[in-house]
Amino acid sequence: MIIYNPHNEPLLNECLKEAEELLAQIPARYCFITGSFLYQEKYKDIDVFIVTRSKKEITLENKKVKITTIDFNDIYSLFYHSISKSCIAKNFLPQRPLKVTLSDYWQVINEAIPTLLNEKDRFHKNVRFLVLYTEYFKTGEILDTFQLNEKIHSFKDYHEVMGYIKRELPRIINAAAKPSYVKRFFYTQAGYYKDVLYYDAQRFLYQLVHNIIGGIHG
Amino acid sequence: MVDVSIFKKRITEILSQEYTLEFLGDNLEEIICLLSDTKAEKIYQWVQEILALNIRPIVTGSPKAYKEWKAHQLLTFRYPFSIGNTEYRILFVKVKNFIYIEFHLGDHKYYDKVRKDLDLKKSNY
Repeated sequence: MIIYNPHNEPLLNECLKEAEELLAQIPARYCFITGSFLYQEKYKDIDVFIVTRSKKEITLENKKVKITTIDFNDIYSLFYHSISKSCIAKNFLPQRPLKVTLSDYWQVINEAIPTLLNEKDRFHKNVRFLVLYTEYFKTGEILDTFQLNEKIHSFKDYHEVMGYIKRELPRIINAAAKPSYVKRFFYTQAGYYKDVLYYDAQRFLYQLVHNIIGGIHG
Repeated sequence: MVDVSIFKKRITEILSQEYTLEFLGDNLEEIICLLSDTKAEKIYQWVQEILALNIRPIVTGSPKAYKEWKAHQLLTFRYPFSIGNTEYRILFVKVKNFIYIEFHLGDHKYYDKVRKDLDLKKSNY
């Protein structure tokens, strides 16, 4: 069993034994457990991830176990880098360089804003990717599941999340991309939102795009 | 347990459009059968809320072709729910300012596949 714990977070001793037993039941070389199970006495699920090419469905008897299968093509993603950063793994996990673009980040925002406004009461669940990508582009740091949970729970409600995006995004984009790219990419996006401004989510995104473009001259 | 034909009929009636809505999903009918009456009612209400413009869609700027349309011509509405330990998603697809074309219902694997087809997500994550 390999313990990845770069920040020396206090892990619960009793969970280590259970994690080892669960991982031993999985017929795959690369599998690991991350999330609240490792550091909270009260947890909802045990998040198990399996990196495999196999299409065969794997199930465990423990009802709390939630298995997610990750394809080898996805180990370049920010998501994989985040979840595998602090975890308990059966073996050393495959490592690949991170591949993430501003266009990926915008895709996350584009989906997160309508979801956030549709499910305002479940915002903690719906902003994981939004916060993960924003913090990565803001600081260059990949948050692990522990840090991500802490950051997400620092927001009191969805308004605070919207304010965070509105405040951080123009600065992040303008620091990370060339003005010519920003103009070309975001003017195109604005065109698609313009047709559906009767939705508040797309109005927010449209305004955000204009704030980003406005930041070029600021 | 919900009757599949009644479920489809209720949604079709709510839309009240001449174009035939396609119901799609690898295990669509099995999943509909698993729905409780309460869960089905919530889905009908959600469809009504979409028509009332109270649910926000996901809009993509992608020029990728999707059947006879381009991805940027479509609005996609997403509804997550779970039955027991399994999570399911509905993706309801509309052509902007026009008709509703597809009602997808499936597990996470199917959801990811449709999202890729609609160019809402390039990778699974």
